[in-house]
Order: sequence, then C-alpha cells, then structure tokens
Amino acid sequence: MILIGENLNVSSKKVGEALKNKDRKIIREIAEAQAKAGMNMLDINIGPAPKIGSEMMSWVVRTVREVTDLPLSLDTTNIKAIETGLQVHEGKALINSISAQPERMAALLPLAKKYNAAFVGLTLGDEGFPRDANERGLFAAQIIAEAFQYNIPEEDIWLDPIAPPIKTQQLQIQGCTEFTLMIREAFPECKSIYGGSNISNGVPRNLRGMLNRTYLIMLKRYGIYSAIVDAFDSELANIAEGQRPELEKLVYSVMDGDDIDNSVLSEEEIKYVKTTRVLLGQNLYSDFWLEL
Amino acid sequence: MFEISKVKYTGKIKEVTLGSGEKAVIIGGETCYPFHLFEGEMPNTPKIAFEVWDFEPDDWQDWAIEPFRDVIGNPAAWARKCVEVFHAEIIALNLKGADPNGKDRVVEEVVSVVKNVIEAVDVPVIVWGTSNDEKDAVLLRRVAEVCEGKNVAIGPLSEKNYKHIGATAIAYNHPVLASSPIDVNLAKQLNILLGNLGVKDEKILIDPTTGGLGYGLEYSYSVIERDKMAGLTQEDIKLQYPIVCNLAQEIWKTKEAKLTQEDDPKLGDEKKRTILLESVSAMSMLIAGADVVIMRHPESIALVQEMIKELTSRGI
Repeated sequence: MILIGENLNVSSKKVGEALKNKDRKIIREIAEAQAKAGMNMLDINIGPAPKIGSEMMSWVVRTVREVTDLPLSLDTTNIKAIETGLQVHEGKALINSISAQPERMAALLPLAKKYNAAFVGLTLGDEGFPRDANERGLFAAQIIAEAFQYNIPEEDIWLDPIAPPIKTQQLQIQGCTEFTLMIREAFPECKSIYGGSNISNGVPRNLRGMLNRTYLIMLKRYGIYSAIVDAFDSELANIAEGQRPELEKLVYSVMDGDDIDNSVLSEEEIKYVKTTRVLLGQNLYSDFWLEL
Repeated sequence: MFEISKVKYTGKIKEVTLGSGEKAVIIGGETCYPFHLFEGEMPNTPKIAFEVWDFEPDDWQDWAIEPFRDVIGNPAAWARKCVEVFHAEIIALNLKGADPNGKDRVVEEVVSVVKNVIEAVDVPVIVWGTSNDEKDAVLLRRVAEVCEGKNVAIGPLSEKNYKHIGATAIAYNHPVLASSPIDVNLAKQLNILLGNLGVKDEKILIDPTTGGLGYGLEYSYSVIERDKMAGLTQEDIKLQYPIVCNLAQEIWKTKEAKLTQEDDPKLGDEKKRTILLESVSAMSMLIAGADVVIMRHPESIALVQEMIKELTSRGI
C-alpha cells in the first residue's frame, strides 16, 4: 500500500507559519522526517492560497526537493499553483485533486496530460457530496470518461471515495466503504486513494489514531491502493505494511459479523473491535465509544 | 399459516418516575417500537403534559387563551384548572418569563412562581427553563432546591451547563432533561456525560429538540426514530431513556398558527387549523417514539389522547 505523508499541511499552525515566512528549515525538516518514517510520497497542501499560491507551491516543491526525491501530491484548489508545482516537479507528480465538476475537469485534465501527471479523481460533482456508493460510482465514471477524451490512461486516475468525518456523518461512512469495494470490479484499471485522517476529523486528538488505523484495515481489506496519512503514526504504517495480521484478522471478523469473545482479547484488541463496530454503523458514535 | 414478520428487540427503554405520591407517573419501559404491541410491551402509555407559563402570555392567540381565560394571570390556578377541569396527568411549567431575550424576570421572582405551582397541584411537574445556558445554570439549580422531595423533571440541560444543573439535581433527587440539537450522536454523548457525573439511569430523560410541522418536524422525527432504534435494537444502553418533546411552543408561535381566516381565507378556520397542527404534530412525535409530549390546547390534547387510547387498546 502506498502511504502519502499528510504533514506538510497549511492547516497545521507550524507549517502555516513556515509557509508564510518561507522558513526553509522547518519545511525541510518535516519533509525529511516523513521520508524517514517510510512514506512513499508526500502531500503538499497549501490550501486555496488565492493570491500567492503559484509562487508558494513552486517554492515548497523546490524546498522539499532539497531533501527528498519522493514523488509529491500537489494538494490545492488553486489551478495556477498546481501548474507551477508541476513545472518544477521532476518525475511523475500526483494532482490532488480533480472532481467531476465540469469546470475543474476542463481546467485540470489538460495539465495532467501535458505534464504526464497522475491525479486524484474526487468522486464529487456539482450537486455536492455523494450520498452513497452508487453516486460515487457515477462521479467516477464521469471523471474516467472525461479523462479518456484527453488520452489519459486509467492507471493514472486515483479514485477517491471521500471518507466522511464520523463525528458528523457516521451514516455516510458505509457509502465510502462500499464504493472502495466496488472500485476493483467496476474500475479495475484505476488506482484508489483516500484521506486517511478525514474519518477522525473533530474527534479528540488522542483518539484519532484509533479510528484512522481501524478504517485503514477495513479499506485495505477492500483493496485500497493508497492513503494520505499522518506520517508519524508508526503503528498505522506497520499495519499498512502487513505487520499486524492478527489485528487485521480481528477487524475482518467484526466486519463479517462473527461472534467475538471479548474475554480472550487484549485491551488493545477490544478497542479495535469497538472501533470497527462504530465505523460499520452498528454503534452510534460518541467521543466515548471506547469506554462503553 | 401466514405470519407477519416481527422486529427482534434486544433492549428496553428505562422507566423513569415523575412526581411523588399517589399521582406519580411512570414513563418509558417499552420493549418495542411505538404502538407495536404485536411485537412487545408498552407498559406505560405515552403521556401528554399540559403547558403552563410562569406569567400571563402576551402573544397568545385568543383561541388559545380562551380555555384558560379565568386563570391565565395566575400560574398556580392555571395549573390547578388543567388538573381539575381537563384531567392533566402532568404539568409542564415553561419559565419563558425568565428568558434574557424576553422579559428577563429575575431568578427569585420566577422561583416563587415555581413554588406556588408545585404546591397547587398533586400531579408531576416538568420545569422547563429558558434554553439560555447561563440563565438556566442559575435558575434551574434554584428550582431543584425549592422542589426538594417533589421529583420534578428539570431541563433542558445542555453540554455547556449539564454539570452545574446535573449536580444539583442529583443532590435533590430530580430527573433531568438532557437536551441535544437534533443530533443522535450528541444525544448519546450528553447521556454519557450525565452518567459520568453520577446521574442515575432512572433520572435521565432525552429532549431531542422538537421542530413543529413545517419547521423541521421531519428532522426531529428522524432523530427520535434513530434514538429508539439504537436503544431497542442495537443495544445502545446510552439511548435507552424516555423522550420528552416540548411541542406546544414550537407549534403556536408559527405564522400558520397565528394568521386568522380573515388574514388569509385560504388557510381556513384558525382555531380548527391550529388544533389540527398541534395534534397532528404531537401524534407524529408519538409515532416516532416520544414518551411525553408537551401540548397547549385542551381540544388538541383530547384528540391525541383518543388516538393514544385507540392505539394502545388490546384486541385488534
């Protein structure tokens, strides 16, 4: 599984300030630390940055390049910034992202073609967020059809099922999970990607990893190709690399509705069982899901 | 032989006692979806609480005042009339006068009204605050004190003020209404917080936040339904509490309840219309899973009571 480090993100206070002050040292440090943590790619999220995005993106890409050759995911809604990022990026970059909204596709697909970049196909259209797996499928088909017009190969399309935050949209998680399973059959040539920390947005900080790791196991089972993750969650990286097969097996049993005997499980394993149940929608989410 | 498929239930709503003495009322206790008596038990039929205000309302429709015209300036007499004339089983005293966005009556003035009402009736009382977190934190604690021994349901408690009011309610042994903004996850969370604070299971009621017909009724409906599904079929013990809907104030303040036939002939007779608005909304809440609805007009209440009776009588 391809892991993409999320930690160069403008919404982090430290990174936000470093971007504003062009603090090369901090940007290099974070890039280097993520590479060391075993990430296969790095996400560069500069936000919409309407005025200075273009210049900022090219500066960050060049700065990160001083310490690592890892491929980068250029994460912004600013189209100009995507292009300047692609210009200075060597090797195959990932455009993050292109939704099924016609004006986004019209502006960004030509760039993907011109720079031979892969792109995240965000299953989201003009009508807003998808409500279930089928709507995701519909948006995915629109993106693939449009990319075909530009002769972009399907293997360069990384479909994103859009993982919703459990805190406010617990019911929507099923659609994301189901669509991930559909990708293999419906769009076998495409790759897939999801925001591995989205699910735990708004959840108390010390509990986020538990949700992120459990959902990773669930989507990994369904063949997800890559995830944008917290590079410093080493346990999550272990799971992605297949080093916790017993945990994966346990989560699968919960997904399959097997009877689980808590008395033979460790405290950690019980947490995974509870978290899987919440992610499956079998238990209603509250911040105290691990304590009940 | 043909058999209708039945829902499998794994949970039971907890029973909560309101009031004290002979007229105390038990609510909750159901082991099935509302009125699904072919699948389980509803040992305590859903109840209607008569709404009484802490001051003479200045914006009520004349046809809402009419049944109470002789007592409407005196909350204690008003409450007594509800019991003696209209056979109210529960009184819901709405402390609207204390609302900082309204009359902003001082706490002690309102507390003395509460005392008078409590002493005037022998049926259980629900005391409903202002929904202003700060004011209620002071006001409802005093209410808990002066109602000692009466087992009065006090609320609404929010995630912001539940600690203050909850602790006082524990000390004086009153049930509390845990209020969340039309959100099943937050409802669960507040119930857990109250439990952690030490409020006993048999002292927790859920206020899901109620929307009137045309003003979000369907959202409340879904949330109440989901509360009950979680509690009854998903073993969600933190949602196994009775639900109280404060409906009257949401219905009677709307444009559709205020316009007269003269204002808009298309809307038809105003009294008939409002009574139907209130009774249909109340019935919707009950069918979704409410255990208590707070209502205003004796005629709408009579209609709903008749429907409850029909739906709970055996021998279908």
